[in-house]
Amino acid sequence: MKIARSEGLSLLKKIFLVDLIKGLMLTFSYQRPSASYTEQYPKVRPKVAQRYRGAPRLNNDPETGETLCIACNLCALACPEYCIEVAWDRTEAGKKALTTFTFDLSRCMFCGLCEDACPTPCLELTQDFELALYGRNDMKWDRQKLEEGNQPVLYSK
Amino acid sequence: MDFLVDFVLIPSIKIGVVFGVVSLVVAYLTLLERKVIAFMQVRLGPMRVGPYGLLQPIADGLKLMLKEDIVPSGADRMVFTMAPIITLIPAFIVFAVIPFGPTISILGRDVSLYITDLNIGVLYVLSVSSIGILGVILGGWASNSKYPLLGALRSAAQMVSYEVALGFSIIGVLMLSGSLSLVDIVESQRDSGYWYVFLQPVGFILFFVCGVAETNRAPFDMPEAETELVAGFHTEYSGFRFSLFFLAEYASMIVITSMTVTLFWGGWLRPFPNIEALAFLDLIPGVVWFGLKVLMFLYLYLWFRASWPRYRYDQLMNLGWLYLLPIAIGNVIVTAVLVLVLRG
Amino acid sequence: MTTDEQTLFDSNEITLSMGPQHPSTHGVLQVKLKLDGERVLDAECVIGYLHRGVEKLGEHQTYGQFLPTLDRMDYIAAVSNCLGYCEAIERLLGIEAPPRAQYVRVLLTELNRISSHLLWLGTHALDIGAMTVFLYCFREREEVLKIFENYCGARLTTHIFRIGGLQYEIYDGFEEQVRTFVKDFPKKIDEYEQLLTENRIWIGRTRGVGVLTKEEAIDLGVTGPCLRASGLEWDIRKSNPYAAYSEFDFEIPVGEYGDTYDRYLCRIEEMRQSNRIVAQAVEKIPDGPIKAKVSKIIKPPVGDIYHSIEAPKGELGYYVVSDQTTLPYRVRVRPPSYVNLQALRQMVTGHMVADVVAVIGTLDIVLGEVDR
Repeated sequence: MKIARSEGLSLLKKIFLVDLIKGLMLTFSYQRPSASYTEQYPKVRPKVAQRYRGAPRLNNDPETGETLCIACNLCALACPEYCIEVAWDRTEAGKKALTTFTFDLSRCMFCGLCEDACPTPCLELTQDFELALYGRNDMKWDRQKLEEGNQPVLYSK
Repeated sequence: MDFLVDFVLIPSIKIGVVFGVVSLVVAYLTLLERKVIAFMQVRLGPMRVGPYGLLQPIADGLKLMLKEDIVPSGADRMVFTMAPIITLIPAFIVFAVIPFGPTISILGRDVSLYITDLNIGVLYVLSVSSIGILGVILGGWASNSKYPLLGALRSAAQMVSYEVALGFSIIGVLMLSGSLSLVDIVESQRDSGYWYVFLQPVGFILFFVCGVAETNRAPFDMPEAETELVAGFHTEYSGFRFSLFFLAEYASMIVITSMTVTLFWGGWLRPFPNIEALAFLDLIPGVVWFGLKVLMFLYLYLWFRASWPRYRYDQLMNLGWLYLLPIAIGNVIVTAVLVLVLRG
Repeated sequence: MTTDEQTLFDSNEITLSMGPQHPSTHGVLQVKLKLDGERVLDAECVIGYLHRGVEKLGEHQTYGQFLPTLDRMDYIAAVSNCLGYCEAIERLLGIEAPPRAQYVRVLLTELNRISSHLLWLGTHALDIGAMTVFLYCFREREEVLKIFENYCGARLTTHIFRIGGLQYEIYDGFEEQVRTFVKDFPKKIDEYEQLLTENRIWIGRTRGVGVLTKEEAIDLGVTGPCLRASGLEWDIRKSNPYAAYSEFDFEIPVGEYGDTYDRYLCRIEEMRQSNRIVAQAVEKIPDGPIKAKVSKIIKPPVGDIYHSIEAPKGELGYYVVSDQTTLPYRVRVRPPSYVNLQALRQMVTGHMVADVVAVIGTLDIVLGEVDR
């Protein structure tokens, strides 16, 4: 399909600046405040999607309060950045029990592969997206932080 | 005593007021620009400093003052320091002859709402405002950097070529009014009953277009075309020195719009000064009319900037020399013939 | 290397280093320009500022793990990157994604083409000074990104497909959101055209600038809209249909003169055509599974494959060699931006400085993809 390419304006259009005025009309018509597309972010909380991949969280069983993690290590294997470390002990019954779970957020690229790999509903990427922290060391989240979620310093105005 | 009051006290007050008001207007012009363009671009513009961002210009000014003063190594220190001042001063002293309003009486004393009425006002404006370009060239050259150099070269060429057409576009008005004094020009518009834009429409358009080019505004903002030359002649400037360039640019915008209003749109006169039925409009002071008209043209500047792409350097030169200048000369000739024929 | 003093005073030429921190080199491209006044005598591209070794990374990550890294190549068309690699591995494995997955893939890829072209139009217009178009384009791009966010949870580096099909089922209200976008979008394109297409300044800045003839374009290996604007009707979606493209009705816009204006018109028309594809796709997404049977640990048989798709910027090809382990033996990417960038020198020589930014804009390069 050949694109339609006009060979310049007609003389009349040129003299009366039709092309330029067309542009002016459009920008003028958009001045109404209702056309504004700005989100006033810190003042108005943005609504992120339900599937948003943000800060990780380790879920606990809501009834017993125990972790849902079965220490299978699949998330650590799935991670392209190798930013998850899982450690476990054997209980006397021979079952794996989670001891530590470290998630290095500074290397995470929020691809969601760990979440996909998790066989239980334990590891989850939440809708929390405000992950700015004061130090690089703070970005290594341990099990406690992963279970509680990030507690950001809130400033009010 | 009268001498002191008439020639020292009142002029000093006037200068102070004009300087203060112009500085404030310049500051808020930046906010207006950001707001108007933002609304055209479906944004909100500055919203954080003060209600609806109204204190933004003050915050900007403070920030610029407090920034570190950087002179690039290898720059010509003295010229580099001088350049913004050379640009700023002419931009402000031009306001000396701009007639903001008619002569009014305050406390039984006749006070004219302009600092001085020079009998060569038009020439004064043209010559003084063209000094500003020296600062731009010097600043670009003294930076010892290539983008500023290119920007300075562009500005020099652009301003020189558009000044020619600008000068010619005024001549029609001068022939009609028979005076070079800006106050006389406004008064002759009152006497003739028409704003000169109706008698000199071509002259007005030429003057306005050349004015946009003279002030380096879009779509003729070649010297500081940010996507080509980073920031043009003031690439190496920062902090306070940059703010001087910035002030000068916006002040000269106001100068050009004030000149447009004075020469073509009847200065402080109300619309249709010859129609008696509209005399109630005289209740609004002349200064307000003047301000409204200036604001209208400033808005046009911002509107253009939001709507159009930027010309290329050579296209700009073509436009100036091949279209605007011949049309301006043609306008002068036609006006001259008409004035001769009609006035006998 | 000559010093400034020599270049400034001994000859008429100056060397201007444009970038890597220049507002309109679209990232970290450095162009060394040799100038005579404002006229460009020669231009040399210096690349590599954003080199991250994506190809080498591919050899150290499993087939599935490599996908999110690929999003970081052409980060404004991450969906296309993902699609190309997924399909390459699927062909290597000898499987095919189910029809439902194919349709959703086409839909999302075309939405991504729209968003990529919108970003191109916005930045290209901004380079030429029309800054309002930029904001308008971003407004529509936001709608596309919202669809992506709702679908897969990320806006830019989406990691949207998986080998063998899709990870995510389409969400409730997906069709409706897409339909609304498809319905409104043509009007928005008209708005961009109202601001640009007939504008005399825009025409002056783009017409006859950076001309690339058909022969030159073929010799330089230029693909995508840049090639089509030069007059060759070559689109992999039509010539070697992949995914479900053979089942859609769309046209390929072809230019004539190969200048910046033609490339502009081509891409504008491509957006309309992509919109058509999306409109068709959303109406006939078939039911069925979204993922073919793929084992968790992917070990393709020994062999190699070259698979290329039509990314928004041109032919995006993946050459993958497998040695029947979990890691690919070699991954080679043929990035469209990198090859298209070669044409820059030819296109800008003899033009002015202002045209350099117009040409860089019209090539639609992404430095993440050029340097990889």
